[in-house]
Parts: sequence; structure tokens; C-alpha cells
Amino acid sequence: MNIHFSKVIPDPLASISHSSQSIWKSNFTLDNTLDKRVLLNASSGKGKTTFSNLLVGIRKDYSGNILFNNVDISSFSVEDWVNIREQKISIVHQDLQLFLNLSAIENILIKNELTQTFSIEEIEIFLKQVNLFDKKDQTVATMSMGQKQRIAIIRALCQPFEWIILDEPFSHLDDENSKICFDLIQNRCFEINAGFILTSLDPVEDFQFDKYLKL
Amino acid sequence: MLKKVLFHNQDKTQLFIAVLGSIIGMVFLISSIHYLIRVNEFGKGEEILGPNTMIIQKKISNSSSLNISKNDFTKEEIERFKKESFVADAQAVICNNFNVLLLTDDKLVPKFSSDVFLQTVNTKFLDVSGEKWQWSEGDTIVPIVMPRDFLVMLNTFMSASGIPQVSEDLAKDIKFKLRISNETKRDFITAKIVGFTNEIPSLLVPESFMNYANQKYATEKEKKITNVMISSKEGEFGEMEKFLEERGLESRKSQVIIGKLKSIVSTLFIVLLVISIVTVLVSGLVLIQYMQLLIVNNKYQIRTLLRLGYKPKKIIMKFTKYLSSIFGLVSIFSLGLFFIEKLLVDGLFEKGGISINTSISFISLISVFISFCIFALVSFIVAKRKILNEFFS
Repeated sequence: MNIHFSKVIPDPLASISHSSQSIWKSNFTLDNTLDKRVLLNASSGKGKTTFSNLLVGIRKDYSGNILFNNVDISSFSVEDWVNIREQKISIVHQDLQLFLNLSAIENILIKNELTQTFSIEEIEIFLKQVNLFDKKDQTVATMSMGQKQRIAIIRALCQPFEWIILDEPFSHLDDENSKICFDLIQNRCFEINAGFILTSLDPVEDFQFDKYLKL
Repeated sequence: MLKKVLFHNQDKTQLFIAVLGSIIGMVFLISSIHYLIRVNEFGKGEEILGPNTMIIQKKISNSSSLNISKNDFTKEEIERFKKESFVADAQAVICNNFNVLLLTDDKLVPKFSSDVFLQTVNTKFLDVSGEKWQWSEGDTIVPIVMPRDFLVMLNTFMSASGIPQVSEDLAKDIKFKLRISNETKRDFITAKIVGFTNEIPSLLVPESFMNYANQKYATEKEKKITNVMISSKEGEFGEMEKFLEERGLESRKSQVIIGKLKSIVSTLFIVLLVISIVTVLVSGLVLIQYMQLLIVNNKYQIRTLLRLGYKPKKIIMKFTKYLSSIFGLVSIFSLGLFFIEKLLVDGLFEKGGISINTSISFISLISVFISFCIFALVSFIVAKRKILNEFFS
């Protein structure tokens, strides 16, 4: 699925000046067959979360045009967005959007049961990979931010997708866990021929990307 | 798991208050509809005269006895009665203008005869099927409605003759004959009882028979109309009573008392019904309000599920089903309480000498179903509006 931005500017950012390299008000295309790994790097308040939210239809307050496979997303109905959120674009929100009263495994299963993408055994392998298997039945409310981030990443992987948006997913992870999670995401994307867009406050030098975007 | 997510933040006290209010409202609603129907049915079947129907006559005074004032009705007077807003219909009661003798004509019943007085009223005032109440020239059997007092008299006679008394149903099978005559000729015709009345002291016959017999055996040219059959509209008996009083008219006391009682009790139940509907609406609104609060309290959970790719319809149905199941339980519990209350109230009616039908009225059960459907529909609409609002936020 290719994503095309044509002079897009979110309403709240319209009064702020943006650099010439900024994607706001410019034209660009992201094609998951060419640009599998995209880094969106910007300082605070430049619209990283807004960018993520525009792509999953959470926000509609913008001018310009966003096209998915040449179709303007402003014409999408609720059913279209349900399909996109369920099958085409997965997202790890910056605030993680976990259910605090559910356990780690329940938070993942509630997403997985929509599409039955993985079996419980496969999910447990993911949990083992991110060193959270022993915490699977622990309520998310009692977990650290780093643990919650890893749960949110695994949950986002539990669906079919063509793009996965990761809004500052490693902000509370150490280098080792960041690497584990990055590899997990990258491997899954290669496996299903999908792309990922990772947003970050700082330049990410440890990982390889195919395309770099700025705000 | 969805239930665990969506119904996590609940204020149980508020839910309890809303449920309690709904149960009270529903019990009121079922009771008022049930008793409104049963009270209106009171007396039906026993009386051949239609509901709210009575025979009126002018009050007999000293002057009318001395023939100074008139005690008969003119056709214009009857037409004026019909124009009153509370009058459903009014018709003259036609009397026989010839001699009539009623005789038993059955081997099982001893010979008995009595002079009787015949009257006829329009079929629309009678609770008797049209098929039974037909007579045309050439027919050998004439249907009759007998005053209950006459049956009591007949039973007294049977008892004195050492024959077992007969019930109303058995009396309908006894063969009778009417001897109609004038000074020059006489005829016999078989009569069959089709019903009984407490309200009319004479035998009722079909209008066609009366016209035929009056033409053939009339001893006078035209008889005066001294009785008028009048029926009031439902729930307007008070107006009718006032009207009779003002015009110097009277009716049998029992008719007035029953009509008045039914009118008062019906009005009370209508007031109770209005209060019940308001109570059910208010308690329903409290439950809907509770659902809105539940949705607001779980806004984050709903929004997150929608962002994960859950269909709004699935979440809407979850809330609708949850609230509907609560209202369903309220309905079942209310029906249970109504049955208990019914036992007590029916006992009170029985003690007061009012034998109403004790079976559950179908309409009161339907009212529960209709309330449930309305509530489920409103829940669905409210949930849909609230949840779709969260989709793009």
C-alpha cells in the first residue's frame, strides 16, 4: 500500500513555521515495497503523534490530501477505517493505549482475537523474546513503562498489516530491549512484506532505515 | 474479555437506584393496565345489555299520575339525547300493543303460564350475537331475553312442584310458547331463551317480531314511548348521571350504581396508568442516563477498542445487550411482584363483593414486552450516537 501526502498541514500546526525539509505542506510518497523502514525524526511539538493519528483516521483536522493507493482518505467511511485499522495499518501509540485492568496476555489477546493472527503458543514465544513471559498474567497497571511498551509492541504485531506505525516505541527501553523489539518488528515486516514508520525525538543511529522523514 | 474491559468502571449504587425505580414503575404499569381492563370487563357476560347501557324513563310525579304532565318521550326528545357529547346512542324501547301469555311447553317441566309484557330494543344495545337474535316472518321460533326475576319465579314454582330448580344454562333448553292475541284472534309461537337480564323487567324480543306482531294484533293505533334505551361513552358516566338529574329522568338504581362505580374505578386506574407511564419513562431515562455515564466512564476503553480495529457495531450491541438484559431482569422481577400483588388485590376485590376475572390480562403482558422493546431501541440509539462519536477522536 502506498501512502501519498499532498501539501498536508494539520490545523493546529498551520500557524507554526516549518523547515524546508519538513514533510508538512510538501508532497511525498511512502511505498512499502520500496521503503520498508522509515524513520520520522522531529523534536517535541512538531506533530509526530498527529502524523501517526492522521494515518489511522483518528484525526481529520488537516488541509491538503492524504491518499492510500491513490484514494483520498477523506472519503473513507467508518467501515473503511475499521478495515484499515484491522487489516492494513497497525499502530503503537505513544501513550500505549493498554487496558490497565487486564493482564499482559489479555491485552495482546484482545487484539489477536479480531483476526486470529497468532496462536497463544506463538504469542507466548513473542513474550519470551521480549523477556516478559513470566509477567504474562500480571496486570498491566502494575508494570513499568518499559514493560508496557513491549506489551504494546507485541499487541500491534498481532494483526495483518501493510504498514505499522510506531510512535516513539522505545522511549522507555534500554538498548538491549530496544534492539530485541526492533528486530521483532523488522522480521515480522519482512515476513509479511510490510513497512514500518518509526517516530523518534532523537536521531536513531543504531538501526538501519530506508527512508528518513523530518517534521 | 470485552465485558471485563467495557463494564469495569460502574457505579453500582446508581445502577441499584435505577433498577429499583424501574421495577416500581413496571409493577405500577402492569397493575394499572391489568385492573383497568378487568374493571371494565366487570359484569360482562352476565348482562345481555351492552356496557354503559340503561333504560331511562321520566320520573313519575303526582302530576304525571294525574295525567297533568306527560311521562312519554317524543321522537324529537330522543334525537336531542343522541346529540349530547357523552351519549353513544339512544333508541326508543318499543312495547307490545297486544296480549301476550308465556307458557311452558316441555314434558320435563310442569305447566306454567303467565301474562307477560314484551319490549324490544335495537340490537346494537345488546350483547348477543346477531345470528341468535334474528326473526323473520315464517320462522317458527322466536328468541327471547328473560328477566332474571322471572327465572327466580319459575324456580320457586318448580321447587313447589317438587321438581329440581334449573340453572340459566338449563333454562335455555326449556321449551316455551308465546300466545299472542287480541280480542278476535290468537296465535302460538315457540320461544327460546338466548340470554338473561337484570335490567329489564319484561321479555325482550327481536324488533322484527315486535313489528310483525304489533301490525297483526295491535289493539291500539300507536303506543306511547315511555322508555328509552341510552348508552354513554366510555368513562363519561358522570356526565350522563348529571344529565338525567337535570332532565328529571331516572333509571334503575343498580344500573346507575354499577355504571358510577365502574366509571370512578376506571378513572382512578387511568390516573394510575398515566402515573405509571411517567414512572416507567423516568426510570427508563435513569437507566439510559446510567448507560451514558457508563459510556463516559469507559470512554478510554471504547476509544482504544475502536483504535484496535473493533467494529463500532460490536461495542454498541454489547452496551445495548447489557442494558437490555438489566431491563429484562427488571421486567421479570416486576411480573413476579405483580403476581404477588395481584393475589392481595384480587382478595380485596373478592372481600368487597366484586368478582373480577382473576386471570392475567394479555394486554398487561404485552405492555411489558412493548416497554422492553422501546427501552432496547432507545438504548441502541443512545449507545450508537455516543460510541460513533468516539470513533474519530
